[in-house]
Amino acid sequence: MTQKELHNQRLINEANHETLRFVTRRHFLKDSITGLGAMAFGSLLSGCDFWGSKGAGLNAFDSNNPLAAHPPMFPGKAKSVIYLHMAGAPSQLEMFDYKPDLMKLDGLECPQSLLEGKRFAFIRGVPKMLGPQAHFEQRGQSGAWVSDHLPHFATVADEVSFLKAVKTDQFNHAPAQLLMHTGGARLGRPSMGSWVSYGLGTENSNLPGFVVLTSGGKNPDAGKSVWGSGFLPSVYQGVQCRSEGDPVLFINNPEGIDKDIRKASIDAINKVNQQSYEEFKDPEILSRISQYEMAYKMQMSVPEAMDISDEPEYIHEMYGTKPGRTSFANNVLLARKLVEKGVRYVQLFDWGWDSHGTSPADCLEIGLINKCRSIDRPITALLLDLKQRGLLDETLVVWGGEFGRTPMQENRDGKEMPFKGRDHHAEAFTMWMAGGGIKKGVSYGETDEIGYSARSGKVEPNDIQATVLNQLGFDHEKFVYQFQGRPFRLTDVSGRVISEIVA
Amino acid sequence: MKIKINKKLFLITGTLVAALIVTTSLIGHKTVDYNTEVKPLFNKKCITCHGGVKKESGFSVLFRSEALAKAESGKLAIIPGDPDNSEMIRRITSKDPEERMPYEHAPLSSEEIDMLRQWIKEGAHWGDHWAYVAVKPVEVPDAASGFWGFLSGKNEWVKNDIDHFIYNQLKLQQLEPSAVADKPALLRRVSLDITGVPPSDDLAQKFLNDNSDDAYEKLVDELLASPQYGEKWTSMWLDLARYADSKGYEKDGYRSIWRYRDWLIKAFNSDMPYDQFLTQQLAGDLMPGATDEQFIATAFNRNSMTNDEGGTDDEEFRTAAVIDRVNTTWETLLSTTFACVQCHSHPYDPFKHDDYYKFMAFFNNTRDEDVTGDYPQLREFDIEDSVKLERLKQWLAQHAAKEESDKVIRFLKTWQPAVNAHLADQLVNSAVSDTRLALRNNAVSRLPGIDLTSKNVLRYRYTSGIDKGKWTIHLDSPGGPVLASTVIPASQGWNVGRVDLNTVSGVHDLYFTYNNPTVEKTNENTLAYFDWFYFASSFPGREAPGYDSAYAWFNDLITTSASTITPVLMENPPDMFRSTHVFERGNWMVKGDEVQADVPHSLNPLPKGAPRNRLGLAMWMTDKKNPLTSRTIVNRIWEQLMGQGIAETLEDLGSQGIEPTHRLLLDWLSGQLMNEYNWSLKKLVKTIVMSATYRQDSKVTPEILEKDPFNKYYARGPRIRLSAEQIRDQALALSGLLSPKMYGESVMPYQPPGIWLSPYDGNVWEKSTGEDQYRRAVYTYWKRTAPYPTMLSFDGVAREVCVARRIRTNTPLQALATLNDEGFIEMARHFAARMEKEGGGNVQQQISKGYELAMFRPISKEKLEPLMNLYQQALQQFKKDATKTCEMIGANREHNTPEKAALIVVANAMLNLDEFVTKN
Repeated sequence: MTQKELHNQRLINEANHETLRFVTRRHFLKDSITGLGAMAFGSLLSGCDFWGSKGAGLNAFDSNNPLAAHPPMFPGKAKSVIYLHMAGAPSQLEMFDYKPDLMKLDGLECPQSLLEGKRFAFIRGVPKMLGPQAHFEQRGQSGAWVSDHLPHFATVADEVSFLKAVKTDQFNHAPAQLLMHTGGARLGRPSMGSWVSYGLGTENSNLPGFVVLTSGGKNPDAGKSVWGSGFLPSVYQGVQCRSEGDPVLFINNPEGIDKDIRKASIDAINKVNQQSYEEFKDPEILSRISQYEMAYKMQMSVPEAMDISDEPEYIHEMYGTKPGRTSFANNVLLARKLVEKGVRYVQLFDWGWDSHGTSPADCLEIGLINKCRSIDRPITALLLDLKQRGLLDETLVVWGGEFGRTPMQENRDGKEMPFKGRDHHAEAFTMWMAGGGIKKGVSYGETDEIGYSARSGKVEPNDIQATVLNQLGFDHEKFVYQFQGRPFRLTDVSGRVISEIVA
Repeated sequence: MKIKINKKLFLITGTLVAALIVTTSLIGHKTVDYNTEVKPLFNKKCITCHGGVKKESGFSVLFRSEALAKAESGKLAIIPGDPDNSEMIRRITSKDPEERMPYEHAPLSSEEIDMLRQWIKEGAHWGDHWAYVAVKPVEVPDAASGFWGFLSGKNEWVKNDIDHFIYNQLKLQQLEPSAVADKPALLRRVSLDITGVPPSDDLAQKFLNDNSDDAYEKLVDELLASPQYGEKWTSMWLDLARYADSKGYEKDGYRSIWRYRDWLIKAFNSDMPYDQFLTQQLAGDLMPGATDEQFIATAFNRNSMTNDEGGTDDEEFRTAAVIDRVNTTWETLLSTTFACVQCHSHPYDPFKHDDYYKFMAFFNNTRDEDVTGDYPQLREFDIEDSVKLERLKQWLAQHAAKEESDKVIRFLKTWQPAVNAHLADQLVNSAVSDTRLALRNNAVSRLPGIDLTSKNVLRYRYTSGIDKGKWTIHLDSPGGPVLASTVIPASQGWNVGRVDLNTVSGVHDLYFTYNNPTVEKTNENTLAYFDWFYFASSFPGREAPGYDSAYAWFNDLITTSASTITPVLMENPPDMFRSTHVFERGNWMVKGDEVQADVPHSLNPLPKGAPRNRLGLAMWMTDKKNPLTSRTIVNRIWEQLMGQGIAETLEDLGSQGIEPTHRLLLDWLSGQLMNEYNWSLKKLVKTIVMSATYRQDSKVTPEILEKDPFNKYYARGPRIRLSAEQIRDQALALSGLLSPKMYGESVMPYQPPGIWLSPYDGNVWEKSTGEDQYRRAVYTYWKRTAPYPTMLSFDGVAREVCVARRIRTNTPLQALATLNDEGFIEMARHFAARMEKEGGGNVQQQISKGYELAMFRPISKEKLEPLMNLYQQALQQFKKDATKTCEMIGANREHNTPEKAALIVVANAMLNLDEFVTKN
């Protein structure tokens, strides 16, 4: 579909929804103070009116068209987000946070002052310090440090804003991933993509608003909860798309049923349902009719949207993609395609970054280098490709893990490890953001000489979330959902927009 | 035709109601009511800064004592009887923007100010929120003799007491109730509601052909008596219990806890009184002479998650589980948002920060400690071992003191109370690895704080890959006196060993040393693992006859593999008591004052003689003075049957919840449940489904839709999409596949490949065989991090934490699931076969039969026609394509015909019809 067709399609859909809106039950925006309903007419109002000048206490949710497109609270610079999560936590000390002083301490026992009062996942007793296991250089105009593990990415370092002093308070994978994506370390809260999906709906009703793509052979440690909808209605959860098998669960017709028969079935179902509507006058039936129509449209458009084989050869060359396989590169290219087609939030998880040093696959000298190689071309291509299509300005790209890795070498159970590895480290690590109204060539925050803790410009997961929401046009303090008697936010009770990197 | 929801009319109706209420109160007494007038205003305009979270200037309006106390300024904000000198009145009327309250917000209206002034003048009487006051007797109003009664004369519509409440409210809204739904609609509705599945053919025919006056009541009684009743209500309860077959978090490994699900089914089916039902789940282990079943009931609170991820802090996740139990208790059993109080006093409701931790103290002394073994687990034995156990019990009864005997049996049934090996510290050449103590050669480690008084035997669970390990236990230091010494042999997997201890009394640190003479020096290999340590006195009755056999049975039963294990609650013995502290601002690492177990003072007190443990807590919850327990369950059951709660927010009856539409009805039903039905839920369900309110036709007129779009006033019957479980179960029933098999381990029906991809977890979804593929949804294996996909599509929840209420959505992904899921296609194939077999010779009859099987009425011409057209279109396609025909039929057989394939397409469409997936 061309942009124009897409636009027209959107107008038609909106018109359909408007018609439906008047005859269907509306889930009233609840005034939590009095419990009395107050009517709100969704997208008929401007963003400001829709979300209310305060926003507090309102659940903006139409059970019959929960994914209708909404305006944000204020005009955002980004229209969509591609979030690249390296599950397992990549080592900042081998990629971005260059610490020559750490090399001098290599092999020496870690001073007690760094261990007292700290909790580690696997380090026991007194570990040894471990110098950088990569060669670093300053890159581009900005002079950002990027190691040789990422030779392609080094060429686009000027496009991004590095956050060099990210700090979290979780040092185990599942809780840290939850904190990064749901704003809290315990299960049960909605993921960032769900919040965005709830806030903005979907621009393209033929595609889900929040898509999740995984690679590396495993789901992230926290499972589907990192794209779950928590206490938001389940419709806002991420839809996992796969590069093999059905791209979206149940999107393909079963064997024996082709496109024509499916169309005929849906027509028949809807005709019978129309009769039921005449009988019961229940507006829910009209909604069901439109959902079945939408299901058919999704069946027609999703497989095409998910197919990267029609991309030209130079694009495959650029990303390093091989259609038909599950790979991070394929997922990155897919992410670009989806964003182009109006998907709001594309979440990628790449599993296998947990460089403890217990085996070749999870050590710094082999496994990490291979993982870096597998992402280097795709992430570089993503930035360049979005840029050449004029989409980088309106697409926010976020890269990072759930925590960082220790400047000490891991000594699991107090033993020497067979390979070089680092333990989980919550104190300081690197993330980066690009596009979507983020400054170019900025490096914000600094760690101490050995990369142990933040010295300046410390940011936390709730700050990242506040910034993502801000770029999309939401005030993270006002964007709330009433649950268990109080308004809940993605950023819980903290969070600050990192204005230092906002253009 | 378009019906506009007229905003103006809505407002006018609202104003009218408000006017009526005001008028009534004017006629009656004209004092200001705290709950309906003052409290809502406080909540809206004041409490954000002057409440449970913030207490600006030392002033809060949450409790009367606080509101009437001196503020930081030394001034009195509220002086009862004296509005003119009350600082609050001065501040809300001040002209100075720096002084005027609400600060930096719009001023209060003059009506609001007058109201507050009058309220203070009248004495500033506080009121308790209705839901925190015990249920009082409610008189059933008379629908016929109300204000409009004389217009309608004797009320023919009313069928039982519920209807009086509903009718009067309808009249206030100027609505008329609908007529009774026809028999086919009622049959299907009440069957799906009571049993979760359509009625059996026999039951359906019996009811449809029964023209007696009590035909419906007979149907209801039969449904309530059917075993499917328990399965349906268990499905509901599993969301509240956050039941899952896996432990959660990263590894999300298997947990054997299905015996709890079966316990629920049996409890519902036997109509266990709700007070008993709660008591057993909260404190079954503490009941005198607790049975296995009562222990299994406590698994309710073992459905909290266990984190097996490497490197996690077990105390952190044990604490998280305890907090989860507190929150679950309040949210699902008491409809209160108590979780708010974890970090600060409740912003709106009368609960203080300390209340949370006092309440937590009830739950903080159970043996579970987030260990990989998920202890304590109840071990149930096969027949042979059960016989041994019974003989042993008999022998002990004759030859041992009761207390001794109980300890022996408890150990055999639970391996408790044992010290978990993860408590070991001061580790040299050793480590705590996945909650087990791992020893290398020349290991030293400490087990701190063990009470050794009258303990002379240590049993320990271990595994070792190597023979001849010398394990010595020293007292108080690594070189201290030897308490015991033994050789750890190589084992086949886990084993339980035993060593005698020298007699010592008091609490001591124990130092373990381990050396293996067959290993040359210290190296990196772990040679032995320990799981737990059980310190006890020696087996009793040494001199008694039969000692040798009894002791042999005892030893056999320690190590025998249990036929099932189920995680249960079990209280710490006194020497393992944990103190409970307030967590400052909710942070478990920052411990404040120590607290004792107690219930919030704003509610009913603990009953006299109630112990301060979970049993006492259960007594408090099931005390008829408890204002929340009965209201919560009544509201929930009403929601299951009518589509929404009397108070919509099932999770919150507090002042921030949505006001009940029929508060007196809620109270009346709560009173009935406790006093008349003796907590029988079947009686409660029956009362609701026997009402005229429930039995109404669900067709809606434009007029009713406009006045009451959400059916809050019940001028029509409930019309609601089926739950995820009901959708699956109904389709299985229609296709004739549904297995009647009850109970047992969870099953794995068809699931598309690639759903389970948990890290570090070798478990795979292996499709069940035979009838296990076609069991009711309540038996489907539930993995928290990757729940069964169609269950999620239809608003099922992940069950990581309890969910008091599923929110219904209507999405295209639901359509895709029932259209394309291979599981549903298989059901469509069997449904088509049944239509063909039972429908007779021609297609029209077959399709009609299919409709009738689901809806219990003939299909109309208008609905038949599109389905016939679909059949013809599909038939033409299949006639041209033999391969597709075989694919559709799912097998390559010689009897495959295009006709069969086309009928499957129609069956697939029918399983997707709105009427089919909706309770009409």
